[in-house]
Amino acid sequence: METEVKKAQGTMVSAENPDITAPADWQPVIMGILCNWCSYAGSDLTGTSRIQYPPNIRIIRVPCSSRVDPWFIIKSLQTAADGVLISGCHPGDCHYISGNYYARRRFLVTKKLLNFIGYHENRVQFSWVSAAEGPKFAKVVAKVTEDIKQLGPLHRYKKENF
Amino acid sequence: MDHSKQIQEIASRLFAENKIDYFVGYRQNSFDDTQVPFLITDPAEIPKLVFTERSVFNLSNYLKPDHTKRKRVGLVVKGCDSRALNLMLTESQVKRENVYIIGICCEGVLNEKGEKAQNCVECVMPDPVVYDEILGTASGKREYIVNADIKELAQKALTERADYFENIFENCIRCNACRHSCPLCYCAKCCIDQETSTLYHGANTSSAGMHALMTWSLHLAGRCVDCRNCEKACPSHLPLHLLHKQNEMVIYENFQQHLAGMEKDDRGAFYKYSLSDPDDFIL
Repeated sequence: METEVKKAQGTMVSAENPDITAPADWQPVIMGILCNWCSYAGSDLTGTSRIQYPPNIRIIRVPCSSRVDPWFIIKSLQTAADGVLISGCHPGDCHYISGNYYARRRFLVTKKLLNFIGYHENRVQFSWVSAAEGPKFAKVVAKVTEDIKQLGPLHRYKKENF
Repeated sequence: MDHSKQIQEIASRLFAENKIDYFVGYRQNSFDDTQVPFLITDPAEIPKLVFTERSVFNLSNYLKPDHTKRKRVGLVVKGCDSRALNLMLTESQVKRENVYIIGICCEGVLNEKGEKAQNCVECVMPDPVVYDEILGTASGKREYIVNADIKELAQKALTERADYFENIFENCIRCNACRHSCPLCYCAKCCIDQETSTLYHGANTSSAGMHALMTWSLHLAGRCVDCRNCEKACPSHLPLHLLHKQNEMVIYENFQQHLAGMEKDDRGAFYKYSLSDPDDFIL
């Protein structure tokens, strides 16, 4: 019912599903999964430095970017999120020495597979943000939010549609 | 490729020497020319053992404790099966001294239509990589070929691909036969069962199918050996190899040409890393 209303006044078109549209003021929900030691501290610095970034991101803290199972990404896309941003320490800076190197491999495969089954490649994005990079975190979130606004709402495989 | 006689001889010798408690091989189906896995404890049943190009299943799956209860097992493996077995040994799922492996230099098995199966045409390692005894003549490692279906699908537009896969996930009845038939899916509890735990989430939707199959394939990424046991077990005849072959291709191209289970003590691609792994996709 809700989708039908959106369709009538819609201007944003879903990249995966051309039938689905949303109003021009539609705001995406982005799942942000941040590593405790770098990116989470980085996002904290963004806040304490009073740098503005889009409020669309919902942040979850994990001990390390390699804690992120591809399953988390699938679950996010299947439930509330229109996009996912995963962020960890820069290569070489991992608190657990090599966690982000393992994560990097997994992310590449996950991203390619999601694209293969029909998600736009910008739906799931990754970044390296250190604890000192407050402005970078704001830039990354702004970029990801903008990308996902371009893609429109994610409709396919959403649990709420069934 | 008929090794039935040799396998029968080896099996009776192993039982006579009391080296094994179980023997896992293939038996002719009673109603057509296909074969089924055959688990024996009684030497009297040895004459039923066969091995031809119709022996399609991966018998490493029967090393799971459910089937052979961690006892001493003799089993027949082809090239791909031995790679899966190699990974099971590396991941400590089975003890080397508990298995007696009859490796077969595979010449390719037939699919349901009677043609050479796609994974055999694209096979990289037809010879067993781990064995106690080897039958047939080894032909060596072959060059990696990108799966034909993957190439074809990659050409299509995003929405077309999405529609194609939605159809696949819609047709998944979530019987979990793919998981049970996979020798490398041995976890006692599986995270994809979370979706089955309540009445509401248990509804069989394409969303739940996507969740189950995608999670399953990503947990097997870098470990899948392309034996296609899952596809043979699937009652809906879903092309499950697409997900695995896509992962395999990305891993082969980006991570030092890694192929699962080829070497002893080589764990999956996600258990190691290289400083030069691509990270141009990371912001």
